Amino acid sequence: MIKNYFKIAVAVLLRRKFFTFISLFGISFTLAILMVLTAFKDSLLSANYPETRRDHCLYINRVVQQNSKHGFTMNSEPSYSYLERYVSILKTPAKIAISSLARPVNIYMNDKKLDLHIKYANAEFWDVMEFTFLEGKPFTKQEISNSENVAVISEDAKNQYFGHEASVVGKYIEANNIQYHVVGVVKNVSNTKMYSYSDIFVPYTTAMSNYRNKSYQGDYTAVLDAGTKSDVNAMENEYQQIVRRIPTEDPKNFDRLYSHADRYTESFTRAIFGNNNDTGIRYMYIAIAIFIVLFMLLPTINLVNINISRIMERSSEIGVRKAYGASSATLVLQFIFENLILTVMGGIIGVLIAVIILSVINHSDLLPNANLAMNLPVLWYSLLLCIAFGLFSGVVPAWRMSRLHVINALKSSSS
Amino acid sequence: MLKHLFKLTWNKKKQNFLIVLEVFISFIVLFAVFSLLIYQQQNHNKPMGFNYENVWAVNIFPEDRSRNWGLSDSVNNYHESIKQAAHAFSEVQEASFCNFNTPFSMGQANAPIKYNTKEIFSNFYITDDHYANALDMKLLAGRWYDRRDNGMSETPVVINKMASENLFGMADPIGKVLTSGMDSVRKLKVIGIVDDFKDKGDFVTPENGVFMRMTEGEESGSGTLLLKMKNGSDANVESRLQKILSGAAKNATVRIDHLTELRKTKNKTVLIPTIILLVVCAFLIINVGLGLFGVLWHNINKRKSEIGLRRAVGATKNGVSFQLIGEALAMATLAMVAGSFFAIQFPLLHVFDMPAGIYIAAIAAAIGFIYILVLICALYPGKQAAKLYPAMVLHED
Repeated sequence: MIKNYFKIAVAVLLRRKFFTFISLFGISFTLAILMVLTAFKDSLLSANYPETRRDHCLYINRVVQQNSKHGFTMNSEPSYSYLERYVSILKTPAKIAISSLARPVNIYMNDKKLDLHIKYANAEFWDVMEFTFLEGKPFTKQEISNSENVAVISEDAKNQYFGHEASVVGKYIEANNIQYHVVGVVKNVSNTKMYSYSDIFVPYTTAMSNYRNKSYQGDYTAVLDAGTKSDVNAMENEYQQIVRRIPTEDPKNFDRLYSHADRYTESFTRAIFGNNNDTGIRYMYIAIAIFIVLFMLLPTINLVNINISRIMERSSEIGVRKAYGASSATLVLQFIFENLILTVMGGIIGVLIAVIILSVINHSDLLPNANLAMNLPVLWYSLLLCIAFGLFSGVVPAWRMSRLHVINALKSSSS
Repeated sequence: MLKHLFKLTWNKKKQNFLIVLEVFISFIVLFAVFSLLIYQQQNHNKPMGFNYENVWAVNIFPEDRSRNWGLSDSVNNYHESIKQAAHAFSEVQEASFCNFNTPFSMGQANAPIKYNTKEIFSNFYITDDHYANALDMKLLAGRWYDRRDNGMSETPVVINKMASENLFGMADPIGKVLTSGMDSVRKLKVIGIVDDFKDKGDFVTPENGVFMRMTEGEESGSGTLLLKMKNGSDANVESRLQKILSGAAKNATVRIDHLTELRKTKNKTVLIPTIILLVVCAFLIINVGLGLFGVLWHNINKRKSEIGLRRAVGATKNGVSFQLIGEALAMATLAMVAGSFFAIQFPLLHVFDMPAGIYIAAIAAAIGFIYILVLICALYPGKQAAKLYPAMVLHED
């Protein structure tokens, strides 16, 4: 039976090649764009190198001090001293990585300024982030407490500064007028990863922008690793308990202090969609859903339109089938099945187009080291989308078709 | 003739409903995209209001602000010593200390500002006396602050044209005294007007601006030094300058950025979303175009006998062709009447803070675009129909 449907579907598709082309074009490009977007989302939000432990972790990236009477706020990443005083005392986390944002760094070479970033980090940073070391090893607690000028550099920084030398561990790199002793080289990290991206990693004790500065506001972030997934919630609650007791820096001007240990995605959605009391992740999902519906609406209407035109061409076939006793339900099912074949074909072409687009993006400078990839979840989403697409665009024409009267259908067959 | 076309379209409203819906949605999408594009283009056409070529921004991050900048006296000395170090370079033409919100930086400082009862929201730029020179800003009236303002009880400020119009209308603002919403005790005396300046990027509309003289010991975040360099100053100069300034700034990290580079980065934050939007929109339009083409073609195939009859009773080839194209355009018109009804609400209700002219222009552009699209899609099917021989098609029936 299904084999028969399949044969009919292929025959119909080949009969009107131009219409088939229009349908396939619409389906494949819509799906390709959605797949590329899913791959982007995946590369931004799912746990991949080096932040593979994301579902064990919570992230602190903001301290807000507010004057609730006049409504003005001080709002930035926390400082090192804030994190040391109020975050490192937490008991639930197994490890706490503290590091600065990646700051642009002054590295001059042969009268050229290199476009590189530096990150000041503590020792546990290397335990929470699972970097791949191409050579050497991370710096140690001992080196940090001695304020030794040691550095771990990325492959990119190595190539830019040292050229293509085989081994650079033990050599020196001059950054911000300080000679750093290179102790390790790691695989590149994409600059979309705020908590782990940098080209040069050095102990926070070598930072000239003072880590001893008593202000709460600064440019450090903390990643709390609970060790087990089940402890993540407890960790969140413990931090909230502590935040409630922290006095503001300047009680005369500021009466409220907000800071949250959020899950990875929420640590960004809070700043964009949320506020001090709401993570805003719901708004993000709603916004994404609205975008996808709007984006798919036009191609779907298009497909419905074309399907209606095409199905009316087959009114004689429908008339004959009906006259010989096929029920409306059978015909509707058959038509939806045919439409699914079309959308799945479009989906396969869409996957190919998406693979091409992704490889073009990966080979361009648009997102260095992002390594967008079509992986299994993305393929699953795409298949789901195909089926949704096929059903949406098949139902209305099939319904119209099933209402055709036998006599009319047979009569109009001659034209 | 026109009435006839619309009547035909109206009679087939059930069959045409989906096409009309499609054109309607495309119209709304195009309206949104054109509004954005026209808005950005208009902003792009406005003059920058200052010169950013060969200007470098030196960011100074002191080790411990409270220690270095505790006394007003030592802040001034600190700034002076850094400036002197910079002026030792023959390539440095002008040096000016200012707040962190330098042109094209991500920083922004704004606060309400008040004249009598009128209050507006404005950007605040805290700068020293050389700022206007370093950025080649054009004074429209009055003067920039300088040594003559030392020891005045009121802080001298220069405001931009937009702030002047919003606060004073046509009246002359020079000599008037303002208060800032942040600090109601401090009196700000207007001594000059400058042209509006687009310090947030080429595509961002200029905003109200108040330039305030950095008083002795102005501390918070006043750590950016703008340097106007001679033409052709290269990375060699930059690396020497960076070393010298690092020394002069004592325990501070010194970073040098070029305003030309910062401008590119800032513009990208506007351009990249726009480009993505355009790609998505172009794809949708191609999709709609192909769909329209297919459906129109199919309709003509279905109406062969009608077309044959028209030809038999005397319609010319062109007449048939025009008839079909006209029907397609009439259909698009119906969709756009509905679309315009929604689009016109934007200027009427002042959704978003954009001038009404932009919306009107966007509606016109969207209408034009859709007519052209429909025309292109209908042209070929219309020609095909004109080629039909009445005898052949009527015979088939």
